[in-house]
Amino acid sequence: MNYLDTITRMNLHEKYLLTSKQIPDFISFLKTQGAVYAAQKKGEQSYSYQYVEDPANVVLDYPRTIQPLKKFFLPPREELLSFDYQNNSYQKTDVVAEKRIFFGIHSYEMQGVLRLDYSFKKGNPEGNYLNRRENCIFIGVSYEPDEFHLANALGIEVENTEGLSIYLEPVREGYIAFVIDEAGQNLIQGFGKTAKVTETIHIKEKPAKAKIRYHYNRLPKVFEHVYTSQVWGQIAKKCLGCGTCNLLCSTCYCFDVRDEVSLDLQSGTRERFWDGCMLNRFAEVAGNENFRDELSSRTRHRLHRKFKYLTEESGALHCVGCGRCSKYCPAKINLGTTINALIDDFTEQQKLKEAY
Amino acid sequence: MSKPKVAFFDFTSCEGCQLNKLNFENDFLDMLEHVDIVEFREAMDDKADEYDIAFIEGSISTPTCIERIHDIRRRAKVLVALGQCACSGGVNAMKNLHQPDWVREEVYGNEKYRFPSIPAQPVSAVVKVDYEVRGCPMSAPEYLHIFKSLVMGRKPEIFDHAVCVECKLKENECVLDKGMFCLGPVTRAGCEAICPGNGQYCTGCRGPISNLNLEGAVEMLREHGFSETEARKRLHLFSANELV
Ligand code: SF4
Ligand code: SF4
Ligand code: SF4
Ligand code: SF4
Ligand code: SF4
Repeated sequence: MNYLDTITRMNLHEKYLLTSKQIPDFISFLKTQGAVYAAQKKGEQSYSYQYVEDPANVVLDYPRTIQPLKKFFLPPREELLSFDYQNNSYQKTDVVAEKRIFFGIHSYEMQGVLRLDYSFKKGNPEGNYLNRRENCIFIGVSYEPDEFHLANALGIEVENTEGLSIYLEPVREGYIAFVIDEAGQNLIQGFGKTAKVTETIHIKEKPAKAKIRYHYNRLPKVFEHVYTSQVWGQIAKKCLGCGTCNLLCSTCYCFDVRDEVSLDLQSGTRERFWDGCMLNRFAEVAGNENFRDELSSRTRHRLHRKFKYLTEESGALHCVGCGRCSKYCPAKINLGTTINALIDDFTEQQKLKEAY
Repeated sequence: MSKPKVAFFDFTSCEGCQLNKLNFENDFLDMLEHVDIVEFREAMDDKADEYDIAFIEGSISTPTCIERIHDIRRRAKVLVALGQCACSGGVNAMKNLHQPDWVREEVYGNEKYRFPSIPAQPVSAVVKVDYEVRGCPMSAPEYLHIFKSLVMGRKPEIFDHAVCVECKLKENECVLDKGMFCLGPVTRAGCEAICPGNGQYCTGCRGPISNLNLEGAVEMLREHGFSETEARKRLHLFSANELV
């Protein structure tokens, strides 16, 4: 991608300077407009999106959070209904769609939410998810890709603004706020304290550290030819089946449901929680049969979901390159390395074909 | 409907699981409303001929254990193993890795002939076990789930996924990222990742998931800077029977 194009495209938007000093004020202002959520420190060296109590705790320069943004729309654990055996009744748990502002999110994260929108809108629209998606404003921020981010290589540049209302780019004095849509315009105007910027902003290129050997457009093609690749078996030797790569994935949406009765044995709740195709009970059917018993076939399925099945349906890759599956895999299985190995396999096959 | 008759028995163990149960306090008292406790050495003294649910704590490690467990099984409609000793032999099974004579001498010295002992085995090695509550001590959330389900006549749902899943659901910071050791990726969930949730590593006290990739686990720990010897030793702590 040509960075000059990016600079030209970005400079078509209205721009305002938010000085470093003004950022906490701006966040305080946002708090008067809705519930604000942003990345904050979690533990020693991790980050997590949390409700913003104190603007001083908001972090704008971070590699990624542990859980993706999906946690706000498809919570890790969620009560679906409560029931009562005594009068044989149940009540659906209300989902309130409060106004929420997500402050300082990365472009791949926004893309992840757009992929989930696709998954939850098609077929049987998922009410709870769609309710929670109402009334949300997203304010993006630039980031420095690390060795796990694949977004760039998958066609999602750092400055991708789709779905965002404002995009923040760091400069010496603070941040340039690029106004992307009307909601963003209203927020900047409502805050009122920022100076309009008229000169061209020369956004610095943020080089990607992780590379994929093919253009991302060719990946669905590669996945048509690697179903029997040895790569799946090689990964399965290291893979522990822990499911981290499913649960933390920006676009995975699978869940399981369980009823739990209270101690009175009269009433109870139905809860759903994140599940994933790497886990044992996922493909288990009656009689303890498991139609995807091997870890190799599970990884193969997971990646086909990201690069082929849903892509054929929707036209978009369903991996947004957040890098969580690589960063948090305890066995250090890296998605970029896997894709490159599959590409090598594919290239090898093509060569053999030509030789005949 | 009469209340189900419930009994608790202990075999070779530290009895930590039974005490752990009394620690539920209010929850435990609430549950007692729904059952008749007919045998529970720690709390009362009574005998009954038949049990709807028999909870067994501890491993099978002497010839008399075998007789007793057969007797209990005959009189129990549902039999539940409580805690890691009962489920896998637990820490007791560490002794199985050594010569039996040496073990007896170490423990009983000159008196060793008065204490016949056999390798520590899970209850399931001798009789049919219907459900297991894993953990050392047994995990309270799983125990409550199984207890409530059985009293209501429902089939309990037991997890067969890794502790990591529970960490991810809670968005815990991974202790591996802090340079600590962890067996969570191969240990069976059901404890709500209580150790990593409190900044500790998982020692694997609930035993491995059913599709344990043992060599993968050793390799994973090596990737994180732990020697193969250390990795194997720690994997054996609670799961000697399952891993040999
Ligand atoms: S996170 Fe890694 S070890 Fe865990 S299931 Fe995924 S690939 Fe396997
Ligand atoms: S597959 Fe991996 S990199 Fe892609 S969206 Fe999921 S977690 Fe992120
Ligand atoms: S990759 Fe697996 S867990 Fe993720 S959405 Fe697809 S089937 Fe579900
Ligand atoms: S702390 Fe342990 S159990 Fe939790 S995610 Fe990390 S490896 Fe898994
Ligand atoms: S986290 Fe690990 S060691 Fe701690 S209770 Fe759970 S299984 Fe046992």
